[in-house]
Amino acid sequence: MTTLSRPRLLAGATAVLLVASSVLAGGAAAHGPDPALSGGGFGQNQVLRFRWRAGSEPAAVIKTAIKAAASDANDTRASKAATFAYDSSGPSPIGYGAGATCGVNGLACFTRDVPDSFTMWFREQGHVFDWGTLKWCEAYTTPPNGCYDAENVALDEFGHVEGLGHHNNYDTDSDYGDAVVQTYSRTKPSSGYNKHVFGRCDVARLQIIYDMLNTSAKYSTCLDMSTVLTIAASSTQIVVGGSTTLTATLRVVDSDSYGRLGGNAVSGRTVTLQRRAAGTTTWYAVGTMSTGAAAGTYVLAQQPGADTEYRAVFAAPSNEGINGDSSPAVRVSVTGCTAVVGVMAAAILAPCA
Amino acid sequence: MSRWSVHRSVLLMLPAALLASACASAGSSGSTAPSAAVATHPPGGGVVTPSPARSAAATEPPAATLAAEGGDPVTGQLGSFTWGDGGSDSPWLPGSPISVGSGERLTVALADGVAVATWSAKRVPAGTTDGSGAVGLGTGGPPIAFDAPGTGPWSVQVTVDFDGGLGSASYYWLVSVR
Repeated sequence: MTTLSRPRLLAGATAVLLVASSVLAGGAAAHGPDPALSGGGFGQNQVLRFRWRAGSEPAAVIKTAIKAAASDANDTRASKAATFAYDSSGPSPIGYGAGATCGVNGLACFTRDVPDSFTMWFREQGHVFDWGTLKWCEAYTTPPNGCYDAENVALDEFGHVEGLGHHNNYDTDSDYGDAVVQTYSRTKPSSGYNKHVFGRCDVARLQIIYDMLNTSAKYSTCLDMSTVLTIAASSTQIVVGGSTTLTATLRVVDSDSYGRLGGNAVSGRTVTLQRRAAGTTTWYAVGTMSTGAAAGTYVLAQQPGADTEYRAVFAAPSNEGINGDSSPAVRVSVTGCTAVVGVMAAAILAPCA
Repeated sequence: MSRWSVHRSVLLMLPAALLASACASAGSSGSTAPSAAVATHPPGGGVVTPSPARSAAATEPPAATLAAEGGDPVTGQLGSFTWGDGGSDSPWLPGSPISVGSGERLTVALADGVAVATWSAKRVPAGTTDGSGAVGLGTGGPPIAFDAPGTGPWSVQVTVDFDGGLGSASYYWLVSVR
């Protein structure tokens, strides 16, 4: 979708839309996509192959948890983020135990070597910190309260590898569930301790870094992006009885802050057509526009009997993080003559000039 | 900031970080050594900081100290962080003990001259380990300063986003408010 050569929309229009967007957003500026780590992301859909570190292989239950977390990351990335796959000869080692380089207090840690590989470490079951003894839930048939879910912690680490920084929570941490990549890990039975899917604000940053899977995919509700809707008529001057096809195009505003999402065509949404008599101010609904041939386009044929203005409207959906927009109006003029369709018609009807 | 300029910043700071880390590790008894201790007043003044909150690796953020006005600074426990091309994830830590007066202005300073972009501070009752029900103590740009919470023992988390895209870190103190 997005390329570096994509033409930019007018900066002024973008600024206006962004201001409008921030007003509509209700000032929730403190809450948003996870921060991005420096160093950028891996390639789109790049497969990152990991192996167990020789001499420091995780316990069997932890291996299972890590592999499950890799699948969780792949299944819930909702973007073209890199994917993870176990490969005994892969370039990215995952270790476990006493050699972990996670600092004094770390349960797990990672390093990134974009675009080639990563490393990951997990502390061993029973590791003694000065704040307590580590218990991985997976190490128990009936996990005790106070244990850490290794699959959740591993998903957090995979998120970091993708380029996600720790989520900035509200003061109350009431939004802890919006991200797996958190400033602290929770234990059983606290809310979110065993979350096995990326949170909406993890996904938001992944989408910004890596782009959407396709033009119909939903944007994370943790995003708050402006869209721009344009409209064109196949003919802006028709005769009575003639028709014109209105084509609307919906895109994400092309802002640098939107990363790879800026300028994306947005397909599969509900775009409606409105009309008004030329010279009047009241708009009337015409109907829902059909999906067009090109990505992000919506079409509807019309047969106006008099000069008419049309506009397209995209109402902000409640289930994704893009805002609504209305296109400028396009005017279709109708002339009183009749189109000539043949020799006999020309003899009977007054042809257009 | 471009990737290369970020890396350049990290490289420029590496010697200082290495030095600080080496100094920190000199007094360490290993990775499981206690990282929380009360500041004391040594003879002749100065400050005795707790045992190091950083490992010997030079891949960690700078230490952070918290102090009340006129009081001795106490090095916080380092929790989750991202730094350069790596990072670590930790629980909500109990924090390094420090005693302050109610309503006192508390300030946090970073070692190694690392600059702060933004910060936020929140507290939970001491002994809470999951951060739920946290209450904000302050947020903003530098300097890091906020008022002590009400009387009682609190686990205080200060999260710092470092300037220049270097990363972020959470530090913890067990603040006993008189």
